[in-house]
Amino acid sequence: MISVSTTARRFGAALALSLTAGLAQANSDVLVSTDWLAGELDRDDLRVIEVSVNPGQFERGHIPGAVNLRWHTDLVDTVSRDIVSQENFQALLREAGINNDTDIVLYGDTNNWFAAWGAWIFEIYGVDNVRLLDGGRNKWEAEGRALSPRQTNYAAGDITVAAADNSIRAFLPDVVDVARRDDPSTQLVDIRSAAEYEGRIIAPDGVAELAVRAGHIPSAVNVSWGQAVNEDGTFKSADELRALYADAGVDGSQPVITYCRIGERSSHTWFALSKILGYDVKNYDGSWTEYGNSVGVPVTNLAGTVWGGQ
Amino acid sequence: MEALGLSLLFGGGFGLLLQRSRFCFFCVTRDFIDARDARGLLGILAALAIGTLGYHLVFGLFLPDPGTGRLPPDAHIGPVSWVLALAAFVFGVGMSLSGSCISAHLYRLGEGALASLIALVGVLIGFGVGFATWNSLYLAGIDQAPVLWLPGLIGYGGSATVQLLGLALIAAVLMRWHQPRQTSNQSTMSFAQALLRQRWPTYVGGLLIGALAVMAYLRVAPLGVTAELGSIARTAGDQFGLLPQRLQGLDSFSGCATAVKNAILSQNGAFISALVLAAFASALIAGDFSAQRVSVGKALGQLSGGILMGWGAMTALGCTVGTLLSGIMAAAVSGWVFAVFCLLGLWLSWRIKRRVVRSLA
Repeated sequence: MISVSTTARRFGAALALSLTAGLAQANSDVLVSTDWLAGELDRDDLRVIEVSVNPGQFERGHIPGAVNLRWHTDLVDTVSRDIVSQENFQALLREAGINNDTDIVLYGDTNNWFAAWGAWIFEIYGVDNVRLLDGGRNKWEAEGRALSPRQTNYAAGDITVAAADNSIRAFLPDVVDVARRDDPSTQLVDIRSAAEYEGRIIAPDGVAELAVRAGHIPSAVNVSWGQAVNEDGTFKSADELRALYADAGVDGSQPVITYCRIGERSSHTWFALSKILGYDVKNYDGSWTEYGNSVGVPVTNLAGTVWGGQ
Repeated sequence: MEALGLSLLFGGGFGLLLQRSRFCFFCVTRDFIDARDARGLLGILAALAIGTLGYHLVFGLFLPDPGTGRLPPDAHIGPVSWVLALAAFVFGVGMSLSGSCISAHLYRLGEGALASLIALVGVLIGFGVGFATWNSLYLAGIDQAPVLWLPGLIGYGGSATVQLLGLALIAAVLMRWHQPRQTSNQSTMSFAQALLRQRWPTYVGGLLIGALAVMAYLRVAPLGVTAELGSIARTAGDQFGLLPQRLQGLDSFSGCATAVKNAILSQNGAFISALVLAAFASALIAGDFSAQRVSVGKALGQLSGGILMGWGAMTALGCTVGTLLSGIMAAAVSGWVFAVFCLLGLWLSWRIKRRVVRSLA
C-alpha cells in the first residue's frame, strides 16, 4: 500500500511539475513551445504564419493550417529598399484571415531568422498579439510533428494595422551618430560571424549581397546570433541571455542597435534583447550591405583590408 | 537527410525503369526515323501524359491560384529564347553523334558501356564551355526572355487540357506513320522472364516514369540528371580559376541548377549514383551487362557528342530529362521548345551522319 501511494504521489508531483512547466512555456508573452502549439491548432482565433528563407518548403509541408508569407516579396516594398507598406501589410494580414483579436504565432526555417524579422515588422505596425514558435520549423520537424502540404483559405479578416512606429528601427544616420560618438549612449551589437566582424571576409560564402568595405561599425561589440540559442534552436533562458550580453557590456542600461548583413539575423537578436529581456532595442535593417557601401562613414577593420576586402 | 534518402530511392527507381524499358530518347527517335517504329516515342508520350496529370494535381496543392504571376516552387519552367532553341538543337546533334542522351549514357554505364564514360567526360567539358559562354548569352538573349507557364496563362484546367490534347494529337500522327511489325510469340515466356530478362515495352516504363516524376517533384525536386554533372564541372572550373567570376542570373532560374559543391553527396549526386547502380543491378539480372570495348572512332564520336550535349544542357538549364520531361510535365513552354529543337537537331544530324557513313562505305 505504502509503495503504491508513494508512486501515486510521485506521479502526481511529476504531473504537476510538467503541467507548470508546460504552462510556463505556454504563458510566455513572446514565445510558445511546440508542445503548446500542437494542442492549439484547432482554434479559430489563432493563426500560424510561416516565414522561411527556402522556397518550396512551405508548399511541401507546413504546420497544418499555417499561412505562408514570403519575406522577399510579401514583407518588403517591391519598389524601394524598405519594409512592406502599411497598406500592403494590412491587406496581406486580412487575406490571411486575421482580425484584431487573432493570436498570431510565427515560425520559420533556419532558426527562425526570418520569422523573427517578421515579428519585428508586426511590431513596427503595432500588431502586438504576436509570438514566436520557440525552436521554429527545425524543432517542429525534429520532434516528428505533423506537416501538411494542403493550403488553407481563410475568410478575409478585418485587422487594422497602425502607422509604422520607427522607434524600433534604426536608419543609417542613427548608426553613424553612434559610430562618430555623437551619440555615446547607444550601444551597437554586431551579430555576424567573427570573421565578418573582424573584416577578414565581407560576407559568408555564397551570398549575393556584398559591400565594398569589410569590417564593423566603430564601437560595435560582436555577439553572434548563434550564442543566443540552445542546441535545439530554442532561445536560452532569460538569465542566460542576460549574462551572455552582459559579458559583452550590454546590460540594458543603454539603448541598443542590432545589425547584421541584411537585417534578418539581427532581428533574431533584436527579439532576444527586446522581447525576452525587455531592453530598449532598435534593429538596423540596412545593416552591413548599407553601411559597408556608404561613402564617408568610419569603419573599424581589424584585418586591415581596404577595398573589396583586399 | 530525408531528402537524400528519397533521392537515392527515386534515382534507383529511375535507373531501373530506364534500363528495363530502354527509355532512351535517342534510340526511340532513331527507331522511328529508320524503321517507322513509333512504339518508343509513344512510350515517352505516355510518361508526359501521366506526368502532366500528376504535376497539375500537385500544382493545385503548391499554388492554389496560378494567376498570381508566381511560379510553383522548383518546377523546371525556364526562359523561352533563341538561346534555348539553339542549345536544344546543339543537344540534339550531340545525341546523334554520341548515340545517346545524358540519362541513357548514365544507365548504359550501368550496362558496362565504357564508351558512355567518355561521353560523360565530354559532357563535363561541355558544361565548362557552357559556363564560359553563359554571361554573353545571358545578356544577348536570356535575361529579357519571357518565362511562359501555361497555367499562368489559361489556368490549370485549360493547361492540362491543352497539354493532353497536344500529346494525343502527336500520338495520333505517330500511330498513323507507325509500321507494325511481327513480334515474336511471347506466350511461352514465364512472368519472371518477362519481368527480369526481357525488356519492357517503352510505354510501361513511360507510365511508371510519369508517376515517379510526380512523386519526385512532390517530395524532393523534379527529375533531372545534369545538376550534379554541372556542379562537378563548376566546382572543378572554380578550383582552377577557369570560370567567370560571376555567372549572371544563373542561380535565380529554376532548372537543373548547378551550384558550386559544398557537400560530397548532394541530392542530385545521390540520385544519379543510385541511377547508375540500379541500372547495373538490373542489367546484371537481365544478362544485359557486358563490358564493351571502344574503338578510337567511336571514342571521338562519344567525346564530341558529349561536349555538345554538355554545352546544350548547361545553356538550356537541363537536358532531355530536366528540361524536356520535367519541363513539359510542368506545362512550361520552355520544355516544348526544347523538345522541338532537340528533335530537329537530332533528325538533321542523324540524316547527315548516315549519308556520310554510306558514302564512306
